[in-house]
Amino acid sequence: MSDYVQMWKDLGMDLETHDLLCQVLPTAVGDVFLSQENRPKAMDFWDLVISEVHGIRPAELIKAQAEGRKVFGTFCVYVPDEVVIAANGIVTGLCGGSQFWVPGGEAVLPKSTCPLIKASVGARLGKTCPFFRIADIYVGETTCDGKKKAYEILGEDVEMYVMDVPQMKREKDILRWKDEIAAFAKKVEEVTGNTITPEKLAEAIKVINERRRAMQRVYDCRKSECLPISGRDVLLMTQIAFFDDPVRCAQMCNRLADELEQRIKDGVSVVPKGTKRILVTGTPLAVPNWKLHNIIETSGAAVVCEEMCTGTRYFENLVDESGTTLDEQFMALSERYMKTNCACFTPNTGRIDDILRMVKEYKVDGVIDCNLKFCCLYDTEKFSVTRALKEAGVPVLSLETDYTDTDAEQLRTRIGAFVEMLNG
Amino acid sequence: MADVVRWYILFANYEQGMALHDLLDRNEIRNRIAPAPRAIQGELSCGISLLIEEEDIAAARACIDEHRAPHHSIVPLAGQIKPHRDRYC
Repeated sequence: MSDYVQMWKDLGMDLETHDLLCQVLPTAVGDVFLSQENRPKAMDFWDLVISEVHGIRPAELIKAQAEGRKVFGTFCVYVPDEVVIAANGIVTGLCGGSQFWVPGGEAVLPKSTCPLIKASVGARLGKTCPFFRIADIYVGETTCDGKKKAYEILGEDVEMYVMDVPQMKREKDILRWKDEIAAFAKKVEEVTGNTITPEKLAEAIKVINERRRAMQRVYDCRKSECLPISGRDVLLMTQIAFFDDPVRCAQMCNRLADELEQRIKDGVSVVPKGTKRILVTGTPLAVPNWKLHNIIETSGAAVVCEEMCTGTRYFENLVDESGTTLDEQFMALSERYMKTNCACFTPNTGRIDDILRMVKEYKVDGVIDCNLKFCCLYDTEKFSVTRALKEAGVPVLSLETDYTDTDAEQLRTRIGAFVEMLNG
Repeated sequence: MADVVRWYILFANYEQGMALHDLLDRNEIRNRIAPAPRAIQGELSCGISLLIEEEDIAAARACIDEHRAPHHSIVPLAGQIKPHRDRYC
């Protein structure tokens, strides 16, 4: 019963409404995570963080602000954390994964907007997310039309900076994204009052690369036939990474990877031998969106990989660390970030290549391609993803869902039938 | 079938909770970090608890008494964990 009430009051939060969220979160955490047997001991860290999700980290951010640091709230894996860190700023994710916030978003956005966007706007306007209250500035990006319009609304309430993500991946687009990163660096310098030097940016690139390596180590353990961790637990690790200090995040992920590698050596698996292995692809699963993973893993299958922004898109591909000038470093950043295969690009065949590669790497039995309702980009890509998987002989199930519980039974029926089909 | 009863150790802050978590681990008493269920929190706040299964609660109590480990209370609660409940946030 840590007393964060005064902190939340000082942030101007709506305590009465926020308490409704506090009431439901423990139940969901119990059902999704504590129902599992034989979880890795290192998950203690993430159990603590999720138990105090609106307490510990917000308190750390407020303390850092009191020491003069600035907090940048971001929405997308395309915003380069390295630039903010090089200026001694802090990056935090923002709330957006719960139905709790959706009605607040629908008050100002069309209902036919994806739940992630509606929840984000609802969390800010409803004053029920400490991260939205703490951030000194939000950094958006042009990865979908819904977000672009939502940023205009958010911008009336708080300072908003939007990065213009190219929609194609030609050489000139990579150069354009480099210029966009350079312009963002100027903005970050203005907000923080700190100069970004090549030395500081080099160090920041190393910090974020180290986080990527650590997360990749955890994912590499999921490639083993002996599966040492559930998909639910890895999803939680990834979701929290967006909010955590990147150095601590890397330490904790490495500690988890150490344990998982030992488990593999010892033959310790969280599922019976022969459990069907699922790759999940599609739109991001922001915390606390655990519905899909929980249904899959309580239907007799295991999630072994997420080709998602809350998955491999977050940490695959390192930034080249050899640059010694800002110009070289901005180019290295651009080249790395432009390898992220988001459905906002045309064409986006790289995503299909990624999925087919991961099917082999993670020894996948079947793919579940799931998008949030009203995300027409990922919904449209289902056609080419499904075709490519069918041509490769990989079973695929296409789903669409939102944050409500009302379709859970239907999802259970469809996913259960899919797993049954995989089991032959 | 009756709902399973589990025990939740509540704390004034997470530092106390983590200290007891480490203590119980050292004494090989099974415990898991869990968000304190709102039904037993009684205050307007989130926070951690330690979840203890029925068969381990006597050993946990003995360990707490022996080390005078700071905690707020120990509360039983039934039916908290149901993986097929499908009630998400």
